[in-house]
Amino acid sequence: MGKLLQLLLRNGGFVTFLVVEVISFAIMVNFNTRQGEIWANTTGIFGGRALEKRQMASDYFNLYERADSLAHIIDSLQLRLSNARQVQIPVQDTFFLVSYDSLSRNDSILRKTVRPLFQSLTAKVVKNSVSSANNWMIINRGTSDGVKTDMAVLSPEGIVGIVRHVSPHFSLVMSVLHQQAKISVSLPMQKNAFGSLTWDGGDPTMMTLRYIPQHFVVKENEPVVTSGYSLMFPQGHPVGKVSGNPKSDPENPYFLEIKVKLNQDMSTVRDVSIVQNLFQSELDSLQLKVKTNEQ
Amino acid sequence: MNSSAITPHVLRFIGLVAVQSLLLNQMSGSIGAYFNVLLYPLFILFLPLQMAAPYLILLGFAVGITVDMFVPSWGIHASAGAFSGFARGLALLPFAPKGGFSSKDPIFSPALMGWQTFLQGTSLFIAMHLLWYFSFSYFSHMFMLEIVKKTAAAWALTMIFVALYTAMFNPKK
Repeated sequence: MGKLLQLLLRNGGFVTFLVVEVISFAIMVNFNTRQGEIWANTTGIFGGRALEKRQMASDYFNLYERADSLAHIIDSLQLRLSNARQVQIPVQDTFFLVSYDSLSRNDSILRKTVRPLFQSLTAKVVKNSVSSANNWMIINRGTSDGVKTDMAVLSPEGIVGIVRHVSPHFSLVMSVLHQQAKISVSLPMQKNAFGSLTWDGGDPTMMTLRYIPQHFVVKENEPVVTSGYSLMFPQGHPVGKVSGNPKSDPENPYFLEIKVKLNQDMSTVRDVSIVQNLFQSELDSLQLKVKTNEQ
Repeated sequence: MNSSAITPHVLRFIGLVAVQSLLLNQMSGSIGAYFNVLLYPLFILFLPLQMAAPYLILLGFAVGITVDMFVPSWGIHASAGAFSGFARGLALLPFAPKGGFSSKDPIFSPALMGWQTFLQGTSLFIAMHLLWYFSFSYFSHMFMLEIVKKTAAAWALTMIFVALYTAMFNPKK
């Protein structure tokens, strides 16, 4: 012990140097965007493979639970499929207006009218966090699977995040529990009034919905779904429920501040799907026109 | 160390941080990406030669984080400052008189060491500081070439400013 103390004293400079550099490094990766993102990406690439191996082992022991969760996924997909079958899409003919069942008929007019807008790919979460001020996760799909940045990540129960960086076999996903994540959502029981969902930190099960005008009478437990206006997330995907009674937004008194309880528990999310908007580049170029027209 | 001995260091700290953040950083923003002059390491260079390493490192960190606050580039200048505090002894070792620096040499300045020794020691010291700074500024080996190019350009410019500063103030303590 005495020798250790002597060693520390003799190498005081080096020890101080190490401590101060570790502090600087922590400040650097936490407060600078560039350094923070490179650091998260690097630890992701090196850690990703090891984590996937560990995940495979723990998956084996959780097969029973996972079979159960897959059954739920199948169930919810079946429900949505049957809902989709109910949709009647009117097709304008030269002479009269007709309605076709969107999935049972497959004629040429219908194919022109009903375009698939999204395609999706399943993935597994290999690293996740919910306790930081800004949370990230890593999923086991990357550029080799066709993943690109700005794709939405969903779970059957709710929304998960947005792809921000991609490596060949993994992607870094900005969780919805990130202060920069803003998701456009709507309230189907309020004529689809839409607002913006953000996370203010703290409770990982709660997010805050803003910019719903004051004249809407929003009640507790009303469903919250994606609005589709962000173009990344498909319209109508479940997000959560209104929690408590809405208050008026202290920063913006014309609007409500609504607490939303997420359906998807972000700390247990495992199976996700990555959703690609097939017309993203077309929509982006249209949006760019809005900006150039305004200048 | 009594208060009259501390005063020049305090003045240097304030002056160099002010020049760095209010003048040099603004010039770099308006002239171009390759115009980088880091003058604040002179505060670390001119700290007493007899000062123990832990204090040098902590003061280097302090001057760096103060510069960081103005940029803001949290932690990058602080890390480089602490490194320079740690490495100053090594950088100046080849230029020490026989038997090492004595209490007769309060600081490493041209008035005490002669211009040639001063510029040689300072070039090495500044180069180490700049290399560390740009490495952490880019933060990836992918930019290795860019780091070396920026360091070289910044080193040449900084040395001009170092010579001007030292000739103007001719620090002796």
